[in-house]
Amino acid sequence: MLKWYQETENQHDIFVASRIRLVRNLKHYPFPVKLSGEDSAELLSKLEEGLKNIGSACGKNIDTKPLSSMDAEEKNALRERRVINGAGAEKKGAAGLLLSEDEMVSITLAGEDHVRLQCMAGQAELSKLWEEANRLDDYINERFDYAFHEKYGYLTAYPTNVGTGLKAAITLHLPMLSSGKRFGKLVNEISRFGVAVRGVYGDGNENYGSLYEISNQKTLGVTEEEIISLVKQMADRLASSERKMKAVTLKSHKLDMEDEIFKSYGVLRYAKKLSLKEAMTYLSQVRLGETEGLIQFKKPVNIYRLMVEMQPANLKLLSPEEEKNDLKQARADYVRNMLPELV
Amino acid sequence: MLCEKCKIREANIRYTEVIGGVKTEYNLCSHCAREMDFGHYSAVFDTDYPIGKLLADLFGLDADTAESDELDMNRVVCPTCHTAYSDFVKDSRFGCPDCYRVFDLLMSENIKKVQGNDTHTGKRPLYHCGGEQGGAEENEETKIRKAIELLDCKLKEAVQEEEYEAAARYRDEIKELKERLSEHA
Repeated sequence: MLKWYQETENQHDIFVASRIRLVRNLKHYPFPVKLSGEDSAELLSKLEEGLKNIGSACGKNIDTKPLSSMDAEEKNALRERRVINGAGAEKKGAAGLLLSEDEMVSITLAGEDHVRLQCMAGQAELSKLWEEANRLDDYINERFDYAFHEKYGYLTAYPTNVGTGLKAAITLHLPMLSSGKRFGKLVNEISRFGVAVRGVYGDGNENYGSLYEISNQKTLGVTEEEIISLVKQMADRLASSERKMKAVTLKSHKLDMEDEIFKSYGVLRYAKKLSLKEAMTYLSQVRLGETEGLIQFKKPVNIYRLMVEMQPANLKLLSPEEEKNDLKQARADYVRNMLPELV
Repeated sequence: MLCEKCKIREANIRYTEVIGGVKTEYNLCSHCAREMDFGHYSAVFDTDYPIGKLLADLFGLDADTAESDELDMNRVVCPTCHTAYSDFVKDSRFGCPDCYRVFDLLMSENIKKVQGNDTHTGKRPLYHCGGEQGGAEENEETKIRKAIELLDCKLKEAVQEEEYEAAARYRDEIKELKERLSEHA
């Protein structure tokens, strides 16, 4: 079965992915950080037992994965695919993961909080994802009593999540906008409305691949619907600026744009070694070319999938044994195999 | 101990005066303390601080320790998970759901600063007694816990409204219920 980011149908030019995350904790239990190893394991088995049929609530096959006994590479790969967060990957002691086959639904148990429920999909489908997360949330609540405070709402280990425990996020591909000088200013302006803009992949201050995730900063004193509509609104604003810039550049510098796109394709197609930065930069260009119809493939392809799967930990898992030590070579081979020929 | 001035409200402020080697001690409630003239110390009673301390008292902190270190909020500790207020400041992380109640007045301003608001308006849990609980005995326990929770809310409100008589009553009721709960266990 294909994972959601491997689907080639219904791709959007700018909205790459959306994500709804809910944080919940059980009543009568300290948060995981204060649980002893024994209590943690006991809580985890209780949760796993109680939620073993949760797949029925969303019509998906959901497997129980032993997060704590996975090796670091596997955990990092899950983190790169955004299934778990950093805290989930680094959690010492008992921790569990319920994951659907298509990776659209993932529930981290006894990570930073008792329950971290996440629904992901391509495009900008926040409302649909929220419906699903809401349903799963009720399913869990039917079986476990939540820690809820009349004033503060759902209680969480970090006060930055308290209230709704909701993070609504949309990942956008902004190759034109982010290369402009005013991008930093635009990001600052947008953050004044209570949304954060973060580079998805990159190193330090440098962004690779022009993927940006925007999400709500506040979780308390706003309803779930308000949060979702705010994030959507801001995403739409960025998307329309990106579209405008594309249109202007296409009109005045079409040849330059095509030149860059085809050069990028050429490098990806024939390189023997590719660093992460190189590959991300060129794939971003190729994605831009494909969504603008400047470049056409013989077979449909999801460029975002390539961007995800050539991240170091995922690439290592996918590569043949003899290439595991030279990731640059493995990356070039992987991209060459995955990237279809041009029409 | 009741306030020695009004003899109605619980005393939560001990004021010790030493003048010319003569030591005088007053046990007052914050209401009466505000009305007394303590020279430049009077300003202390105009802040939120006595309320914070009153809360710490109500949640079972040793009154003497709290008083000997009056302005040191860092010594407020959550009785359930032993997270100290200073731990919270350091990690910005709570240890258990009860911490929110214990540190409420100390950190509500911080939460407001981070979140821009301090009152939840979104979804509420549909179920309050999940399948995790079960059996007649545990149901009794849940009932008591629920009653305690309700009283807790009332208590907090009373403190905020400075209705200390009512607060003291709620506190006693909570104490009684908690004793029943431990008998149960």
